[in-house]
Amino acid sequence: MSLGAAEVISNTRNASAGGDKPPLIDIRNLRVTFPSGGAEPKAVLKGIDLAVQPGEIVGLVGESGAGKTTLARSILGLPPSPGRIAGGEVHFEGRQILSLSESELRRLRGRRLSVVVPNPRAELNPLLKVGDQIASMAKIHLGVAGKEARRMALEILREVQIPDPERRMDAYPHELSGGMAQRVVIAMALICSPAFVISDDATSGLDVTVQAQILALLAKLAAEHGSAMLFISRDVGITAHFCDRIAVLFSGEIVEIAPREPLFLEPAHPYTLMLLAAFSHSPKLRDSWTVPDTDRRRERSAGCQYADRCPIAQPVCRTLRPPLAEIGPGHFVRCYFPVRHA
Amino acid sequence: MRILAYLAKRLIFVIPQLLGIVLVSFLLVKSIPGDPAVLMLGPTATPSAIASLRQQLGLDQPLYMQFLIYVRNLLHGDLGTSWQTTRPVLEDLLQRFPATLELVTLSLLLAIVVGVTLGVYAARKPNGWVARLADLYGLSAGALPDFWFALVLIFIFYTVLGWAPAPLGRIDMIVIPPLPVTGALTIDALLAGDLQAFWSACAHLVLPVLTLGLLNAGPILKMTQATMEKMLESDFSRFEVLCGVPQNLVVRHALRNALPSIVTIISVLYGFLIGGAVLVEIVFSWGGAGQYAVQGVLNSDIYPVLGFVLFSAIFSLIVYIAVDLIYFLLDPRISN
Ligand SMILES: Nc1ncnc2c1ncn2[C@@H]1O[C@H](COP(=O)(O)OP(=O)(O)O)[C@@H](O)[C@H]1O
Ligand code: SF4
Ligand SMILES: [Mg+2]
Repeated sequence: MSLGAAEVISNTRNASAGGDKPPLIDIRNLRVTFPSGGAEPKAVLKGIDLAVQPGEIVGLVGESGAGKTTLARSILGLPPSPGRIAGGEVHFEGRQILSLSESELRRLRGRRLSVVVPNPRAELNPLLKVGDQIASMAKIHLGVAGKEARRMALEILREVQIPDPERRMDAYPHELSGGMAQRVVIAMALICSPAFVISDDATSGLDVTVQAQILALLAKLAAEHGSAMLFISRDVGITAHFCDRIAVLFSGEIVEIAPREPLFLEPAHPYTLMLLAAFSHSPKLRDSWTVPDTDRRRERSAGCQYADRCPIAQPVCRTLRPPLAEIGPGHFVRCYFPVRHA
Repeated sequence: MRILAYLAKRLIFVIPQLLGIVLVSFLLVKSIPGDPAVLMLGPTATPSAIASLRQQLGLDQPLYMQFLIYVRNLLHGDLGTSWQTTRPVLEDLLQRFPATLELVTLSLLLAIVVGVTLGVYAARKPNGWVARLADLYGLSAGALPDFWFALVLIFIFYTVLGWAPAPLGRIDMIVIPPLPVTGALTIDALLAGDLQAFWSACAHLVLPVLTLGLLNAGPILKMTQATMEKMLESDFSRFEVLCGVPQNLVVRHALRNALPSIVTIISVLYGFLIGGAVLVEIVFSWGGAGQYAVQGVLNSDIYPVLGFVLFSAIFSLIVYIAVDLIYFLLDPRISN
């Protein structure tokens, strides 16, 4: 009844835009656990399969606590502590990067694979000038000398459209607004023109208009630098603007993944439907949208993770984990009773 | 600019601070039982001789008058006279304070090297063997009495092995000390170009510096370890790792962020050791300022005690101002 892992992987890969090219990054059955009080560690990522094509922008949406940050960091081999990668593979540019040595991984991070983080003012080193922090990326990864690195830093600061970039080179993080700090972090992520950029909820906490500007900039720059992107957000609406495909993450599982139009026009998973409905009715929910703790705490070991909240759940949903099944070209759903649109 | 404004503000408060310290220590010293006149004249003195000496010393005056006279003399650079050495306290202290300062400063440098190095390595691997060694070190360094540790070192390196010179002062008896310029023998010997005196002074410094340095590395080690662990777990360190910054550089950046806390503990130790080294000074017959003050307390010789307190207070104020300036240099968030 349930699909084998291998089948799911090949299906997911076919789901990628331009299915015959090999994917740039191929995440297979990635599982991450956190130690819990009990004997059994808590599963936070329960077998993620996701492939991204070169140049593609894939959105990943999910409520807080769904495991988005854990996924973003685990792809780089650094799950948030005390989390641990319990299994799975990440293939990138011909290598399984989760089996690389720490120093090989280090050389990939920031150079071929980089991440844009939220709350950038806490993420920048408070004692170093931002120009030096950006330039050090080029020095470390591209081996360029100090002067050239600074020239590159200034150029990328211009690209991220920071006002008065010459002066900002010598600014310290605490002298920047949240939006400017975000641009600095984007500059650091892009200065080496990585093949793959992960943007983890990058603009949460910023003013809405600033958010829109920065996201548009991020998408434009990723395209200019030839980088594919995993664009993580709590806001499904925002992914509609520039993602080629969108994956919906619920409780550590991808419950639906589809190219943009089918996802928004024919959402098939009850959770996706709820999500879209919630956003279309109340934009206020965007910021506060979280599940009550009691719901989140309830871990299901068997069956559908969404069964406790699903309005159309049936007995079978509680006993067997639904497989990720293809219901349209590139459109996969993990549900026994996907919603059909006439 | 902020630095200058800060310095000015700091200096305005120095005088009242010093005055307060002098007042409190004056009252404390005066409350020590024992009459200096009796001690000075010895057991055979007649009551009238004692009374006239008390008058001569101003001891018959009310306490507040004694204090005012002391302060007035201070303003003229007169710190009183020690009846034990029969020399002006200022002269005595100018000779002895540098002896203590030289000892304490070198000890602190050793403590910094040991404490910061071990602390950083322990923080890099919180479960590694260096971390375990650091825990053990912190515990034992805090538990060992310094004079006992000094005696053990003397026993091993002087009595048994004969590597160290006799624990009798700062320089060999047969070596002529260099002309005092700074008061620190090592520096003065170098200034005089007298290598023999220099090596002799260094040899005498080894054991007391090892004693004080190794024992006082404990608090520096703990502070470095705790702050570095916090910094290495902080968002900006994690972000550097996510950006592929090599571990050595991540650690260096974390250390820079940890420095203010480490500098604070060092400055506290520095001020403490000026008086806290006294037992070690006694064991090595160092002739330092702490030893001088303790002799004063034991013999109702109050001016050396007050002079010592005043010198230490001024020294601590200088250290704290220096520390604040270091904060300014270290952290752009303060200076802006
Ligand atoms: N330090 C931790 N200890 C235990 N569990 C954690 C820890 N951090 C995160 N988790 C678990 O991992 C889940 C996913 O967290 P996270 O990846 O940060 O979610 P998101 O980024 O989607 O908000 C959370 O629901 C929580 O249960
Ligand atoms: S599998 Fe069942 S419980 Fe899960 S989403 Fe589908 S219908 Fe709801
Ligand atoms: Mg998150």
